[in-house]
Amino acid sequence: MLFKRSKLLSLLFVLLLMFVTGCSNTPKGSENTSPKDNEKVVTFSMTGDIGDLNPHTYFPNEFFSQAMVYESLVNYGEGGEIQPWLAESWDVSKDGKEYVFHLREGVKFSDGSQFNAAIVKKNFDTILDNRKQHDWVELINQIKGTEVVDDYTFKLTLHNSYYPTLQELAYIRPLRFVGEAAFPASQDTFKDGLKSQIGTGPWVLSEYKKNEFAVFERNEQYWGTKPQVDKVIVKVITDGESRVLAFEKKELDFIFGNGVISQDSFQFLKDSGKYETKLSEPTATRTLLFNTNKEATKDHKVRLALNYAFNKKAVIDNIFYGMEQKADTLFPPVLDYTKINIDPYEYDTEKAEQLLDEAGWKKVEGKPFREKDGKELQLEFLFNSTDNIQKSIAEFVQGDFRKLGIDIKLTSQETTTFWTTAFQGKYDLLFTSTWAVPFDPHSYLASITTDSENGGPDYTALLGLPEKKEIDKKIKKVLLTTDEKERKKLYTDILTTLHDQAVYLPISFQSNIAVYHKNISGVDFLPQEAEVPLTTIDVN
Amino acid sequence: MRQIQNMKRKLLSHKLMMISSSIIFFMIVLALFASFFAPNDPNLVDIAQKLHGPSSQFPLGTDHLGRCILSRLIFGTQTSLGTAFLVMGLMMMISISLGIFAGYTGGKVDYIFMRICDILMAFPSFLLSLALVGILGPGLVNLILAMVLVQWVFYARVIRGMVLSVKEQNFVLAAKICGTPKLVIIIKHILPAIISQVVVLIFMDIGGIILAISSLSFLGLGIQPPEAEWGMMINDSKPFFRNYPSLMLYPGMIIFIVVIAFNLFGEALRDALHIKKE
Repeated sequence: MLFKRSKLLSLLFVLLLMFVTGCSNTPKGSENTSPKDNEKVVTFSMTGDIGDLNPHTYFPNEFFSQAMVYESLVNYGEGGEIQPWLAESWDVSKDGKEYVFHLREGVKFSDGSQFNAAIVKKNFDTILDNRKQHDWVELINQIKGTEVVDDYTFKLTLHNSYYPTLQELAYIRPLRFVGEAAFPASQDTFKDGLKSQIGTGPWVLSEYKKNEFAVFERNEQYWGTKPQVDKVIVKVITDGESRVLAFEKKELDFIFGNGVISQDSFQFLKDSGKYETKLSEPTATRTLLFNTNKEATKDHKVRLALNYAFNKKAVIDNIFYGMEQKADTLFPPVLDYTKINIDPYEYDTEKAEQLLDEAGWKKVEGKPFREKDGKELQLEFLFNSTDNIQKSIAEFVQGDFRKLGIDIKLTSQETTTFWTTAFQGKYDLLFTSTWAVPFDPHSYLASITTDSENGGPDYTALLGLPEKKEIDKKIKKVLLTTDEKERKKLYTDILTTLHDQAVYLPISFQSNIAVYHKNISGVDFLPQEAEVPLTTIDVN
Repeated sequence: MRQIQNMKRKLLSHKLMMISSSIIFFMIVLALFASFFAPNDPNLVDIAQKLHGPSSQFPLGTDHLGRCILSRLIFGTQTSLGTAFLVMGLMMMISISLGIFAGYTGGKVDYIFMRICDILMAFPSFLLSLALVGILGPGLVNLILAMVLVQWVFYARVIRGMVLSVKEQNFVLAAKICGTPKLVIIIKHILPAIISQVVVLIFMDIGGIILAISSLSFLGLGIQPPEAEWGMMINDSKPFFRNYPSLMLYPGMIIFIVVIAFNLFGEALRDALHIKKE
């Protein structure tokens, strides 16, 4: 029997171990990266691995790390202003179909090779070889030809005049540039990956251990403003609580992003007064997406009912501590083309119940949930378990909808499986968000029209909508509309239809958060939501 | 001197037995009449009452969704104990029948059975259950399946050992000589001879099973929300443990008390039976 008791003890031990390991997720091996004298190092953490750091591919690549190493022709600046970057200037032909870029001279890749028109064309061509993979970026579909005019002049020819061309050139992926030496033997960077991570950006990857950490060193040959610190260490910490503990222990210099820690932890750190905290302007919309192919959510009335049944104010007041603004539209009304006049679906449980009754989902005596033809109203709610905010909202929704006789089945999956399931459409309700600028609204809407594995799950989700074809047609049209007024009208039309169809349930406008120790400065929010302000950050 | 020690031990085991059995009895009553004892609906979300301290309405306060902690603890008794008993029952069904069959039949059957046990026991059982739940997907049914499928071998092996020692005893041999059918021998002679030991085994281990269920639920692999379960309650309270340590303390304490109670009860039972035999 002694053996039995030791088994019990070992179980107790496992439980204890889970606490301990859950609390301190210090990657092993980070000892080798200890700073030299006078070297400035900042450390922060991300929820996932940075992937193979290839600007032409997608998940598990992280936006922030791709942006650290690779650069684009133009930059998306404050307020959406397009700024010269690797291209110093550009000319657009009168018909809007030809773009001639005058490249910055003297820009070098981190291996010392020159950045010129030839390498720009080479990068464009390998991206265009995999058009299907990138077709959520409409510009990729519009490109007719690429041409090297001279060493520092590059010409892009389009099929149609496409108004967001420059905006899409500023995206973090896929239109960024790797050096000649990075190309694999087949020259296909999408299928065969990179030989090495060579970019023109301010950072160079120096050390990397999968799922543990990545170290970036300053690119001393960088053409632009050089970063303040010498080294950036990015640790992989999946759990939000571990991240907060690591930050408190000063293992991390700052916490940055959205959903990386729970709102409760953020509030706790803020109230402690020991750290600096910041909240960005609203970037994107937290929203639920209804799967219109499923029996219950196919019904317009059910979708409407759920919109009325959702108590946004309670979520914002109690889960977000009032830090986020209530959302009634799919996109924040501060963006171009997104100010629309609609009647918001205000919280009204009576109306919700009435709509559910009308849809045939009726209350049954003695049973907790509504039924239609003997079937319970059960909705599967899929959310990402690595996000530290989604879970509390999901649980709230489950509890709140229960009162109306709606059974919510929660399914949480970690990022990779989550997206696979989402793209397969195996859910009734999906926790998602819009993509923030520069993607919102046009790229997000464009992704609704294409079945691209690197776009969004919205395409599949909306297939059950009778109006889908018409909406798609309008979105395709608006992207190629040159007249400003006409464009505005079309956007209003599309967004109003989406609102009327109630396929989304916007909750709030999300923000990035930043928490940092008092000796850290320069933690500012950048125009592109996914970028981390590593060039301005300094340690005092 | 020895007699006095023996007496002392007997008394002590008696006292422990009293305390532990009353705790267990109390818990079982709590589980059976959860809806009677619970002051509130354990799943009623009222986010405006989030993280409130103890009050007359919520004796132990509320959790992060404004649900009554005491009610959730009480309903957690139902899930935790219920699942543990179910797992134990299923495991016993498999291991008693297989253990007796292998032990009594002997020969090749026994040999094959032992090798299967060896293979399954070569893996750390908790990790194997973890992997199984991972493959099957989280959920109560899968959790039970994973635990039963992995852990039955331990009991089957022990029971087989008991049968081996019993089957050579004179009363079994006598029954055999009389031409009693196999099944009757097993049911009438062997089973009664080992059943007391099996009962001790069950009580010694049920604590471990409760702990394993809580651990798996803590990892999000077991019982799914909104159903209340102690391990899951600990997991839910993780983000708040700096400000509201009580959220984690209550379910932790309950798990601790119940597991200890079952363990002490099992040990007391073992001692009592042991002394009887002497």
